[in-house]
Amino acid sequence: MKKISKKMTLWLMIALTLVGLIGVAFTFVDDFAYSRPIAKITSTENTRVENVTDEWQNHDKTYHQAIKATITNGQYKGQHVTLSNTYTKTMALDQPYKKGQKVFLSIKKTSGKTVKQASIYGFKRDTYLAFTLWLALSLLILTTQFQGLLAIFSVLLNCVLFFLAIQIDLALHASHVLLIFGTLAVIFAVLTLFLILGPTTKYLAAVITTIIGMLVTIILSMVVLNLTHAKGVYLESMSYVTQLPTPLFLAECMLGSLGAIMDEATDIISTLFELKAEKPDLTQWQIFQSGLSVGKNIMGPLINVLLLIFMADTFTMSILFIRNFNHFGYTFNMNMSLGVTQTLISGIGIVLAIPIASLLCGFWLRRRQKA
Amino acid sequence: MNAIIVLLIILGLLMFAVGRGEGLRAYFSFFINFLLIFLCIWLLAIGFPPILITLVIGTSILAVTIFLGSQDDLATQSAFYASFVVLILLVVIIMPIEAHAFVQGFSSENGEEIEGFSLQIGISLVQISSATAILSTLGAISEAAIAISSGLSEIITKKPEITPEALFTDGQSIGRQIIGTALNTLFFSFFGGFLALFIWFMNLKYTFAQIINNKIFVGELLMNLFALIGVVLIIPLTSFVVSWLHGHHQSKA
Repeated sequence: MKKISKKMTLWLMIALTLVGLIGVAFTFVDDFAYSRPIAKITSTENTRVENVTDEWQNHDKTYHQAIKATITNGQYKGQHVTLSNTYTKTMALDQPYKKGQKVFLSIKKTSGKTVKQASIYGFKRDTYLAFTLWLALSLLILTTQFQGLLAIFSVLLNCVLFFLAIQIDLALHASHVLLIFGTLAVIFAVLTLFLILGPTTKYLAAVITTIIGMLVTIILSMVVLNLTHAKGVYLESMSYVTQLPTPLFLAECMLGSLGAIMDEATDIISTLFELKAEKPDLTQWQIFQSGLSVGKNIMGPLINVLLLIFMADTFTMSILFIRNFNHFGYTFNMNMSLGVTQTLISGIGIVLAIPIASLLCGFWLRRRQKA
Repeated sequence: MNAIIVLLIILGLLMFAVGRGEGLRAYFSFFINFLLIFLCIWLLAIGFPPILITLVIGTSILAVTIFLGSQDDLATQSAFYASFVVLILLVVIIMPIEAHAFVQGFSSENGEEIEGFSLQIGISLVQISSATAILSTLGAISEAAIAISSGLSEIITKKPEITPEALFTDGQSIGRQIIGTALNTLFFSFFGGFLALFIWFMNLKYTFAQIINNKIFVGELLMNLFALIGVVLIIPLTSFVVSWLHGHHQSKA
């Protein structure tokens, strides 16, 4: 019986994977769903190449392309347009185009129903995104089946909440950033951990650990940033900022470390509950010590996960700074100081969660035995 | 005093308090990894071939994270071999996708930040974006590899006569247990890293169509998905390496 259901599960997963593939295929023909005109490139020709040297003696090349394309959607569908494109070897803000690719257009001039002049507005990337999404999710559900599906569901749910929280933040004109995203973090923890642990005592312990850990970390960081006047942390270098940077940065720290803290809390608490079931005569102190020894082995790798993710985002900009002859110190301050600070704050959260989870379990498991 | 240094000291003290010697070792691994990242940026900036640098620095990061993370020989060795294979697989998956999706460099959203800079720096940013994407996944991969291999190593200690096949199955089931939380770690770091960007999108009323074609958004989401692919691939690979090494030891004994 169990074997059959296992086979069924596998077939179900394969079916889901195939449905996903249809979704990817759809992005090849989804042009009609876009309101902006899209054109498919039918031919390209490199017209001119120039060697360029900038003020820092960086050697680059500028290429000019003449492109022919056919509009694939909207009222101008089927019309041919001629476009021009310039790109550099660096491709910082530009890119080459090839036959078969699709681009969004800005229509510049029309006469009647014919397009006279158009330019490239942007590259159509949805197919590549959909393909990678499909690849990742298919591998996920084929190797981990229902656990994988559950994890996807949990991420989707969190995306919706994230979106709602941003809407609330915008509606309140960013007046309560920390309150909104702090509440969001608590809701995230309550829901996500529920989907992982179910309605158990372990769940309660993990939620409490996550919330206390997060709270202590954020308060500690605020104290440090206040006392040092955030010296060395170049908050003004934060990208894409449309609101006051300090609370936004703290909110980013809070959300960024949340996953790692929940990950760790789940690990420690599950191990300690298992341990207690195996050896019921453990004292509160022994449980606490075991918790620390589980934690000390996972904290290092977890901090490195965040370090690599947060620092990776700084590569391109740092290289641009260095190639523009800025000092390392300045390059670090303007690009990496925020990533490093975010990693450090998250790291503190990750480490603090260990004694909190261990204390809580020690207390909890001892009391439960008495009762 | 510099806030970064204060935070660095606090983190060091906390890690020592929780883990003593092992805590300091973990702190040390974090520090070396940071230096490796800095070295990597510098080597890329002076024009070394990005993929070669990524492989060398990437392998070093894996070694530092894994070998300084635990003292169990079987666990660290298998985790390292498996992670290395996944690193190579990811290079093969990531490079063509990055080369086709054109998510390199900057976008109009970066406007003010790059004003005044020369953008013709003579380094192909497409390759830099591949290098970045590959490196960003390595933390998550080594973390999952260690979790699985040390779990399996514990099973071997308790039950040395376990068959390699049973061990492989156990590895898969540990993988299923950790995948949920690993996925959360990845996606929350994504939310946390780009809260400002998402606020920007919604503030300026980007449509769904604009977002799923936006250079920065697509680039970031791709990085996250690559990390997910890496974590999924590491589960069977680590289980396989541990059970293979264990089978090897058994037949020798």
